Amino acid sequence: MNRLLDFLKGKWLGHPLHPILVHVPMAMWPGALIFDLLSKWQIGGNAMVRLSFCAIVFGLLASLLAVPAGVVDWSGIKKEKPAWKIGLYHMILNLLVALLFAINLGLRVQTFREATTVAGVPLLLSILGTALLIGSAYLGGMMTYTYGISVARMSKDKWRKIAEAGGANLPPE
Amino acid sequence: MVKDYLEGKPLRHPLHPMLVHFPIGLFFLSFLFDLASLVFPSQMYLVRDSFYAMLLGAIMALVAAVPGFVDYTDIRNDHPGKRTATAHLILNLIVVGLYGINLGVRSSMLSDPRIRTGPFVLSLVGICLLCASGYLGGRLVYDDGIGVGRHKRHMPPPRDTIHLTVPIPGADSVFVPIMAAQQLRERETLRVEIGGQIMTIAKIDNQLFAFQEFCTHRFGPLSEGKFEGFNVQCPWHNSCFDVRTGKVTNGPAKVDLKILKVEMREGKVGVPLPRQIKST
Repeated sequence: MNRLLDFLKGKWLGHPLHPILVHVPMAMWPGALIFDLLSKWQIGGNAMVRLSFCAIVFGLLASLLAVPAGVVDWSGIKKEKPAWKIGLYHMILNLLVALLFAINLGLRVQTFREATTVAGVPLLLSILGTALLIGSAYLGGMMTYTYGISVARMSKDKWRKIAEAGGANLPPE
Repeated sequence: MVKDYLEGKPLRHPLHPMLVHFPIGLFFLSFLFDLASLVFPSQMYLVRDSFYAMLLGAIMALVAAVPGFVDYTDIRNDHPGKRTATAHLILNLIVVGLYGINLGVRSSMLSDPRIRTGPFVLSLVGICLLCASGYLGGRLVYDDGIGVGRHKRHMPPPRDTIHLTVPIPGADSVFVPIMAAQQLRERETLRVEIGGQIMTIAKIDNQLFAFQEFCTHRFGPLSEGKFEGFNVQCPWHNSCFDVRTGKVTNGPAKVDLKILKVEMREGKVGVPLPRQIKST
């Protein structure tokens, strides 16, 4: 169990795992929207419809691993910290987005092989999903860049040495 | 001003790490289409799909490069992360170059049923280098804290550490003048190293303060911190300290800062140091 947790935290990589994995849905789903819009504007035809379908599938596959990795990172934050609540909203939004794209995918399964343009409801779902995803990703970025979640977690020994050499007061080990 | 925008200050989030999701995801998607075209050559258009994903990826990579360059120039020259950043930059330029060539090669073979070996190998190499480079970029954030908390600061961070040597010890203590401190603007900082000791010199309310550079929580750089009243806030995890006393005013740090006196002697601003600090 501990091994699994360490794996999900990215200790084996020396880099938190969740922010790496999220690149995939974060690129695929807005990508799907772009492909949808191109197909609506009669550019690319069926190629765009299928691109969009595949992009949604790959995004969902990556989120299967990104979700547990994110939950593990979040569970390490103390509840009284502002980042805990932001993390909670980030998680709820992400689950909602994943659900929206799963429904979106379900609506496309029948038609994506032949259709030359995307239907109205899946397009709306792509727009909604992408908008929520951007909001959610912004919250995720805030956790890193404003609250420093996972920052210097794996490099603290290196920094302790540098600070010690620089004559600083240090926290107890 | 433009620099502030490219650093994402109005967004309160660096721009480069936001934008790089797109080239990474799209180059990856393009590679998956290549693989699919090899496995299912009967499927039409996979080669074309791969081309479009790559094209969009390359465009987004160029867009992401602009704030990336700006972020790079903002890293202190002697920062331990600077070399990682240089490697990240060079690798990314190579990756973009490779994808540029790749697009050129592919543009004449869009109706192939399966991808040819040449462009496939180019994509494979591109993906591997991109993963390595992306990993380095992540290490810059999560190991070295580059870009973390930067938007909270109003003044530019110090560009270099000023190294000063301790003159021959006098009777009571040595006095080390810091010439650059005289030119500091309000809430601006210097990062100074004297005899191995690294400190931040900050000007607040027209007075100079000297205190240890490293936060006592996880050693974040206080010379890049935010100043509010007489408090300095660590850019990484927001610990706050009173620069007059060194006392923690807000966690997560629990240990107080080491502070030094800043004095004026013979018209020079400097810090007196106890004699046990050896000259270098």
